[in-house]
Amino acid sequence: MDRESQRRLDAIRRRRTDLENNAIDELLLGRVSRRQFVRAGTVLGLSLPTLNAILAACSASSSGTTSGGQVKKGGRITIGHQTPSGAMDPLLTADLGRLTILGLAGEYLAFSDRDLKLRPVLAESWSPNGDGSVWTFKIRQGVKFNDGSPMSVDDVVATFNRLADPTIHGNNALSNFAGVLTKGNVTRVDASTVKFQLDGPNGNFPYLVSSDNYNAIILPASYSGNWDKTFIGTGPWKMTSYSVNQSVSFQRSPYYWDSTNVPPLDGIDIRFYADEQPAILAFQAGSLNMLSFFSVRTGQALLTDPNTTVIDIQTTSHRQVHMRTDQPPFDSKLVRQALAYAVDRQSLISGLWNGKAQIGNDHPIFKMFPSSDPSVAQRPYDVSKAKSLMAQAGKAAGFGVTLYTEQVGEIPDLAALVQAAGKAIGITINLNVTDSGTYYDKYWLDSPLGITDYGHRGVPNTFLAAPLLGGKLGTWNAAHFDDPDYDALFKDYVKAIDLSAQRAATGKIEQLLLDQTPLIIPYNYDALTAVKKNLVGVETTGMGHLNLRRAGLTS
Amino acid sequence: MLRFLVRRLALALVTLWLLSVIVFLASHALPGDVGRRILGPFADPRSVATLDHALGVDRPLLVQYATWIGGFLHADLGTSLSFHVPVADLLGRGLLNSLKLGLVAFAMVVPLGLLGGIVAALRRGGPADRLITVVGLSATVVPEFVSSIVLILVFGVLLRLLPVTAQAPPDADPLTQLYHLVLPALPLVLVLFGYIARITRAGVVEALDADYTRTAVLKGLSWRTVIVRHVLRNALMPTIAVVATQVGYLIGGLVVIEVMFNYQGLGQLLFTSAQQKDFPLLQASVMTVGVVYLTATLLADIAYSLVNPRIRLGGAE
Repeated sequence: MDRESQRRLDAIRRRRTDLENNAIDELLLGRVSRRQFVRAGTVLGLSLPTLNAILAACSASSSGTTSGGQVKKGGRITIGHQTPSGAMDPLLTADLGRLTILGLAGEYLAFSDRDLKLRPVLAESWSPNGDGSVWTFKIRQGVKFNDGSPMSVDDVVATFNRLADPTIHGNNALSNFAGVLTKGNVTRVDASTVKFQLDGPNGNFPYLVSSDNYNAIILPASYSGNWDKTFIGTGPWKMTSYSVNQSVSFQRSPYYWDSTNVPPLDGIDIRFYADEQPAILAFQAGSLNMLSFFSVRTGQALLTDPNTTVIDIQTTSHRQVHMRTDQPPFDSKLVRQALAYAVDRQSLISGLWNGKAQIGNDHPIFKMFPSSDPSVAQRPYDVSKAKSLMAQAGKAAGFGVTLYTEQVGEIPDLAALVQAAGKAIGITINLNVTDSGTYYDKYWLDSPLGITDYGHRGVPNTFLAAPLLGGKLGTWNAAHFDDPDYDALFKDYVKAIDLSAQRAATGKIEQLLLDQTPLIIPYNYDALTAVKKNLVGVETTGMGHLNLRRAGLTS
Repeated sequence: MLRFLVRRLALALVTLWLLSVIVFLASHALPGDVGRRILGPFADPRSVATLDHALGVDRPLLVQYATWIGGFLHADLGTSLSFHVPVADLLGRGLLNSLKLGLVAFAMVVPLGLLGGIVAALRRGGPADRLITVVGLSATVVPEFVSSIVLILVFGVLLRLLPVTAQAPPDADPLTQLYHLVLPALPLVLVLFGYIARITRAGVVEALDADYTRTAVLKGLSWRTVIVRHVLRNALMPTIAVVATQVGYLIGGLVVIEVMFNYQGLGQLLFTSAQQKDFPLLQASVMTVGVVYLTATLLADIAYSLVNPRIRLGGAE
């Protein structure tokens, strides 16, 4: 770094907090990449101009993610999208079908982008107290809902106290807020400031109020249900018609607050598809300008279609193969490790995903999370080691077990491949594949061996808590994993605010999970979106949001 | 005739009542818990139990049946558990859509099937007969999802002649709606053509060989009069019965076609409601299909009785 850069960096550092300076140190020491630094900085509340100034001083450059092309004003586009699985209600939303629609009509305090960076939206900035147990958010002024009424701090306070309310039937946000935020602990400080008093320190809290939390679009304080009548929100789009299971149309909201980012498009028509195949055919036939999300299995033809731009982004969506650790035959960690070594992950990725997935290492701290520890070695595919582990466990003769799972995406094929992996080391695996509802109702938490789907999250907190913690907090703990050392490490991780402290915990967590192997996580897979060549400026996220504020037709 | 109608109507009502019992019991035999389906897999078990209680699905089956059928008789179909909107709204739209698609398919396949059957019978043993029989039979055995994909690829993707989505834009005029329904109706034509043509052919062949046809020919009547007044009048009776039994399928059984052409008809509604354990929607949809089916068979009975006086006069029983 030259003297001028050093001088500029010193000037910036003088105005930063200890936590922020720690993040800068991590960057200078090369412990984090530029992308990871930007992401960590946004969590701490550093603005993007400040981050860019720091990166410039460190001779690192920032790159944008927008697509190019000359966009014309006006026009409408038609999007094929997964049918919502229930009533359009921000409180109940737990599926991609509804989430994407919420994100068009509504907005979050912050937007978690494809690189897992937080961009301020309805919050202009945020900062934690010393231990991360209190977070203060500065709320943007002059924002209006799409019915023309103004949004205030009181709306923000009411939205989050509602989302933390355990008495609301089907309140989906509790999966994020249980044990983190208690109803009533979100309070107004002044006309532009909101304070979140958390149940304990939480270094990743801003993600829980961002677009990473399905349910956290800001609603009016007076909201009392029937969202599907109004689609009220502060987003750039206003609903003009909605037909259950069929379609929803939006026009540009005349009340949108961000005058510098007024969408070029006049409107959007979304058609719901219950099945992927007809949506792909409709896209190929030119009836759709865009297919919000498609799978490699069904949409192979789109990957090589010259008229299609495929937006391919890494996500943390994955499958968990759980093994019940509290009863035979998987009560021995040697047996669990044996099955994990017998799974050929590279073959799964090329066979099931056509390469559009990343290798997993049997813990949910995926490499794309900045807090992941790159020094932890990847578990190899090693059948002879698996066989010797079986022998050490006294199971050289093998055993029989049933694998329960659901008819979702490629999971039945994955189940068959796990079955084949088991066969190679003497484990006879019978398959019981049911519809998703039956699996979750009857088998999920009680099966000796099972496969469950997990959607994308911007931080690993949820993945590390519900499926792995002992006691009441382990509500999705299908492996019945109960390890006090793990629980203690998880607490260390959650309360860590700066990246180095988070990594100190995650490295140990990754090693512990590799050793204990309650789960086999073979891969995390990409999200694919198909867009016609004449539509540019579309931004997607791993969570399933479509940012169409800059989207437009070229000709 | 009146007595015949009353008797048929009474039978239809008994059938509907039986259907209501069967659909009620069958829907409760579906695996899984209603509250769990609504709140999702990650909901707290206490919330699930509270919701089950609020919905009344934890009450004895007989009480639930009485409440449901009582509401049904008062035209109160309830509220969809999944979508939180009145069942009547969803059902009304689904039924209308299904009727439109069914009507288009019907209008295409019935004349084609009849014509094919008649031509095949009149050219018995000839190339036309063989062609119609073989093509009809081959088309019938191709599953709808296969023919749908092929038709979409050819007419929608390659030639771009027809829209691949059955749903016309909102406020579309009838002609545009018809335009959108042509491609989805084609796989149905393929499935039903061979069937209707075969039954018609068999009826016509039988009638051609009958004594009364020979008598009519020997009387010196023109060939055209013999066919229209003597052959077809007798030959079409089994065809009417066959066509009527297909109405239930055309209105409520088109799940595959509706999914492939992204059309919100009764078939998709039935499928979705069964998947989501949306009892009010599922039961009302099945009952609606039942009513449509019984109405169609009743109309067929009437048509049959008009063609065949022995039926309405009780001679056939």
